[in-house]
Amino acid sequence: MSSHPVVIDEPGKRVLLMGNEAIVRGAVEAGVDVATAYPGTPSSEIGATFARVAEAAGLYFEWSANEKVAFEVAYGASMCNQRSMVAMKHVGLNVALDVLNPVSLRGVKAGLVFVSTDDPSQHSSRTEQDNRWLAKQNCVPVLEPSSPQEAKDLTRVGFELSERLGLPVMLRTVTRLSHMRSDVSLGAIEGPDREAAFDWEGFSYRVAGFEKLFRRHKERHEKLDRAQEEFEDFEYNELKLNGGESLGVIGVGFSFSYVIDALRKAGLEDDVAYLKMITPHPLPEKLVSKLLTCVDSVLVVEEVDPFVELHVKALAKDVAPGLEVMGRMSGHLPREGELSPMLLDGALSGILGTSLETEDRRDLEEESKSLLFDRMLTLCAGCPHRATLYALKKAVEAVKGDLKGVVVNGDIGCYGLAHAPPLNFEDTYFCMGASIGVSQGMAKVGVDTIAWIGDGTFFHAGIPGLINAVTNRTPIKVVVADNEIVAMTGFQPTPQTGRTAMGKPTKRIMIEDIARAAGVDHVEVVDPNDLEAAEAAFRRMLEAEGVAMVIARRLCATEALRAMRPEKPVPYLVDADACTGCKICQSQFGCPALIWDDGAGRAWVDSTLCTGCGACVQVCPVGAIRLSEAS
Amino acid sequence: MAAFRLVISGVGGQGTLLASRLLAQSAIEAGLPVKIGETYGMAQRGGPVMGHIQIGEGVDSPQMRPAEADALLGFELGEAVRRGVTYLRKGGLALVNTRKLPPVEVISGMVEYPSQESLMKLLRQVTDVVVAFDATALAEEAGDPITTNVVMLGALTASGVLPFGEETVVKVLRESLRPAYFEMNRKALELGKEGYEKSLGK
Repeated sequence: MSSHPVVIDEPGKRVLLMGNEAIVRGAVEAGVDVATAYPGTPSSEIGATFARVAEAAGLYFEWSANEKVAFEVAYGASMCNQRSMVAMKHVGLNVALDVLNPVSLRGVKAGLVFVSTDDPSQHSSRTEQDNRWLAKQNCVPVLEPSSPQEAKDLTRVGFELSERLGLPVMLRTVTRLSHMRSDVSLGAIEGPDREAAFDWEGFSYRVAGFEKLFRRHKERHEKLDRAQEEFEDFEYNELKLNGGESLGVIGVGFSFSYVIDALRKAGLEDDVAYLKMITPHPLPEKLVSKLLTCVDSVLVVEEVDPFVELHVKALAKDVAPGLEVMGRMSGHLPREGELSPMLLDGALSGILGTSLETEDRRDLEEESKSLLFDRMLTLCAGCPHRATLYALKKAVEAVKGDLKGVVVNGDIGCYGLAHAPPLNFEDTYFCMGASIGVSQGMAKVGVDTIAWIGDGTFFHAGIPGLINAVTNRTPIKVVVADNEIVAMTGFQPTPQTGRTAMGKPTKRIMIEDIARAAGVDHVEVVDPNDLEAAEAAFRRMLEAEGVAMVIARRLCATEALRAMRPEKPVPYLVDADACTGCKICQSQFGCPALIWDDGAGRAWVDSTLCTGCGACVQVCPVGAIRLSEAS
Repeated sequence: MAAFRLVISGVGGQGTLLASRLLAQSAIEAGLPVKIGETYGMAQRGGPVMGHIQIGEGVDSPQMRPAEADALLGFELGEAVRRGVTYLRKGGLALVNTRKLPPVEVISGMVEYPSQESLMKLLRQVTDVVVAFDATALAEEAGDPITTNVVMLGALTASGVLPFGEETVVKVLRESLRPAYFEMNRKALELGKEGYEKSLGK
């Protein structure tokens, strides 16, 4: 295997890179010294790539405990004259927001670029938020690449810009860009090699005297003004204006790829003026005005919110009062959700009165929809969360007499699939750690709850909530679905794993130790695949006084399979003579390896999917499931 | 030259993403620009996976429009038809693995898996050029069902629709895979070609 394309030193070579990998390449070319991240789709491959190449690239990378800590670690390095990057999904910035504001006020020394991967249409998220508003709120310049090539190039440019301005710089991507792959032409790896030293003059209260950060507010605005000046003739913003066009289109960041494809398809490249806008904040008003003053109407195309559109409307009021501004606010593009080439085709043909050439397949799609299943998401074959939920439901039924005797407040992770049939045992889930918090409000007003939280999420945002429950004597019941890994985002280690992002052994921090230290009254650890023991532990938790926690610990089945490669597990099988066809294994347990044969009226085990965990053996009331002969 | 457009569909874990990457790497090897748009969400958990691969000049967006794909590479029967009816152009080439991977609602007996006949009937409303065979069986013959993706690539190579030749794909396979796996995948590629040719007349 050759080395990863992110670290090869062959300027000009064309390599295949994912948008997220291209960002890492840009950081490597810029000589980044410290990189941090918290995993979250669609950003996770940034950290995963850093983890893979860190040693070869001579940089430090860590998966931090959460996004706020990740940001702080990066800033610490910046104050010591080392370039740093921090990557997170859009909602991660909500967690890091507390530190972003003072950092942008105080300013950076070495370049600090933070990546926000926004998720239009919420493919893998609980919200569809547009983080450009947060950049605006905090006076942070935003670079929005339109392709993987630009994702790489602008990352490098971002470090230089950050240093020139003394501000952190946000690189904003969207899911489609982060996850697309394209040929990318590599640049030279030529970042500065600086000695790490704290900038005493620049940052130390002891040396420079204590200051109220308020006086920096003006300075921050001046920095932003300088950014705006730079963006007026920023080489990545492209204005194509022949003169005489009646319509102008502003394609912001990745949306520009839809704009140019739609214009090309409609043969309108020479009839419509366009502006590729890579710098949505601060918006280069002179450059935009050049377009606004030469056309009758303008269509603003951008992902998630009408961020640039709103600004263009305000600007047009001064520079082109008669101009019609169209976009997501005017209804020419949808107010919510991800854009597509099709939506652009439709918007352009509607505005210009041209005919649409795209073939309509909606009738056929309807037919296929009525014929085909949806392919619902489900927990993987052998997933320990399935056994945990099965045992938990038994315990709740026994203790409360009814599955609705508790509200199950879930959290962010694979185990969020607890809501899916047949287990169907989850009522709410909101954001990292919320299970423990909202359960307390319910408990305080007399509603019984279970907080259902994963190991990774517990470390990220569950601990303060747990301490709150103990302090305020709120007797919540917490089940930690501990599969010993951050599975959903690609098997990142948790603080309990005992391994750093760069593969070095480290101290294991055990959840039960934290719980006991926090004063939790009743703490148990159980292997969920022992269904009887797990059910008993959950019963004790439900009956316990005070704050009670059961940690259901078993390694993620998919990770376990990865770890045992090239060995394969010994699968189980269903004894067809013993199976009575009661379907309990399907209707109440639902492992994807257990398949129902309608013809025979029996279940059978798909040996290619079975992970050999054996949990289903305990579910079968007649003992028809056993280890295959292969053992 | 107009860009070559391909849609790949399957289920998480089938190696569709690797197949996309091998094709894109081959395009780069052949000096062509390439874009891959992938939709996978929580694919590891048995979800549907789709890739749009566009090779050649004049493409910026990674997403295709309906009826734009020159070819469909369907790794799983139902998923092949689901994407084919949307994205395959009239008369485009459909390569379909007839092996079914039933989703949770089928294995739990909530709904039935539609018959191959009814699914194919739908696909044939888009194209007559349908080449369907059990690629997973061929992969098992090559040594491991995991090589289904390379069997499918073999069929695609044999069809002659790609803007580069088989030798480019073999070179990329050799450079991308560990030596221990190369021979098995080389065989899978061969079996895919044979599978295509045998099924062509049917």
